[in-house]
Amino acid sequence: MFSKILIANRGEIALRIQRACAQLGIPSVVAYSEADRDSRAVQLADEAVCIGPAESRRSYLSASALLSAALVAGCDAIHPGYGFLSEDDTFAEMVRAHGLTFIGPPAEVLERFASKAGTRTLLGKHGLPTIPGSPMLRDDAHALAEAERIDYPVLIKPSAGGGGKGMRMVRSPRELQQAMTICRSEAMAAFHDDSLYLEKWLEDNRHVEVQVVVDRYGNGVHVGERDCSVQRRHQKLVEEARSPAMSDGQREALCEAAIKAVVEAGYENLGTLEFLLDREGKFYFIEINCRIQVEHPVTEMLSGMDLVCEQIRIAAGEPLGYTQQDVSLRGHAIEFRINAEDTAHDFRPQAGVVETYLPPGGPGVRMDSHLYSGYEVPPYYDSMLGKLIVWGSDRHEALARSRQALDEIVVDGIVTNLPLHRALVHHRTFLDGEFTTNLLDRVGSAAFLDAAAAA
Amino acid sequence: MSDEMDEEMQDGRATIARLAEHVVPELIERLTKSELGELEVRENGWRVRLRKPLGEAVAPPAAAARAPHPVMAPGVHVASHSSAGAPRDTARGIVASPAVGYFAPRRGIEIGAAVSSGDLLGHVDVLGVRHEVVSPVNGALRAFEVESGQAVEYGQPIARVEAEA
Repeated sequence: MFSKILIANRGEIALRIQRACAQLGIPSVVAYSEADRDSRAVQLADEAVCIGPAESRRSYLSASALLSAALVAGCDAIHPGYGFLSEDDTFAEMVRAHGLTFIGPPAEVLERFASKAGTRTLLGKHGLPTIPGSPMLRDDAHALAEAERIDYPVLIKPSAGGGGKGMRMVRSPRELQQAMTICRSEAMAAFHDDSLYLEKWLEDNRHVEVQVVVDRYGNGVHVGERDCSVQRRHQKLVEEARSPAMSDGQREALCEAAIKAVVEAGYENLGTLEFLLDREGKFYFIEINCRIQVEHPVTEMLSGMDLVCEQIRIAAGEPLGYTQQDVSLRGHAIEFRINAEDTAHDFRPQAGVVETYLPPGGPGVRMDSHLYSGYEVPPYYDSMLGKLIVWGSDRHEALARSRQALDEIVVDGIVTNLPLHRALVHHRTFLDGEFTTNLLDRVGSAAFLDAAAAA
Repeated sequence: MSDEMDEEMQDGRATIARLAEHVVPELIERLTKSELGELEVRENGWRVRLRKPLGEAVAPPAAAARAPHPVMAPGVHVASHSSAGAPRDTARGIVASPAVGYFAPRRGIEIGAAVSSGDLLGHVDVLGVRHEVVSPVNGALRAFEVESGQAVEYGQPIARVEAEA
């Protein structure tokens, strides 16, 4: 096991990793930027090292600053958390080259799963259904022929990059021809690469993902699925398990297929396989996340496992020590991401002082947050303030407890998205478990807020 | 599909030839001349990474073994650093560390020496790459706050320079 771990992240996940280290009896060192000097993780740290200025590029994204901090503090492992360098195979390789352990998949595993297209091909070979799509498009004639084969509507996607740039959904050959030119120039402008491909567009899809845990020796288990269909512009807002849209048989088929494919493909450590689920209940693999995810507590509430501890144990070379039969999932859990965003003004990110912070409580209520009264939210990083996770013996109980917890929580002095969460837990579509990934964007969050105000 | 794979194969061969004949030799030359421990070039889905042997590239200065004690004790840094905003506090002539690593003073530099703004006072070694520590003002070097080979964090006071009146 490791003797000391550097925590190369900030916010709530830095605290979460600190807790896991304490649980395992491993001292930890918090690497922080100047903007996070007064953060909760630094206050609670056994040791803390300032690694650079507020700007992420020179602190949390600086491989050399983080590695130097780890060496200087005498750490033998680095936990990257999520975001920043958590899936960067070059960083993982650097960490290893300096004789330390990267807590996550080894560099060569990260590299093997780095390309989205390559991963789809790889896991497709191991039995996962992938979304119907085209190879790289040579010209418009090729695009038209491929679209015909895949069947409209199709999504035009750039080979490089993400974030919706160069992406268009089209429903006819005419639309396709018009959109190809636009997508090419957008992709060229954004990524200096105008190669495009097509993907089948699924109407009213849901986003369902499977948590896997695989050790170095090829022992792996899945820890069930999570449903992340409540999204705004491809950002997850609410996640829950089990998925309200799937039968037990469907869940079993999905999770079994996922764990079998990743173990065969040589995956290692914690991972999440993301799928789109169509109206007929068919699932299609889209991508794998090679890190701990924001929404991991949902799975922890159901399984009783500590996924960050598992991550550390596996990185240290310990065998899993249990099998699929030992993993049992109980009840239902829902996570609400609480962000410093103004829902009334296009979700503009907010910064400033949190004057009062009062977390909720009661049975099944867990609050993972780095907030405290008087904490100043710096403007440099993402706007997540914390996560409220609520467990109940079934979805009905989880929802009732969620409503109470959302009423109890106080975050004053800064604008948050709490009003949207409070509206959602009263909204028929959410209560019925009928959310699809594009619903919030299509209807607009104002509709949900208005409905709640009228009720 | 098969056409495309053929094209990819041909592109691949051309790229390998170019990498072997031009890119790699050039990189080796640049890495040898530099103080860097590692160089990486990415292009069109290809990546070339060169690294010097571990000992050569990342050995800390001879005097600097791993810090035997914590760099910072909890609480201490919050109090002692609350005023250390920018890495260089020009007004008071405090020279702050530009990076996290091991400090070494410039050879031959003496306490009391006259220094000009921008003069080199020492280095902070970050994985074998030296980050310069320079005087923020014209004046006299009054003291080093850390010893040669000591671990420093970003923003930590390293030296005091008394500004000319």
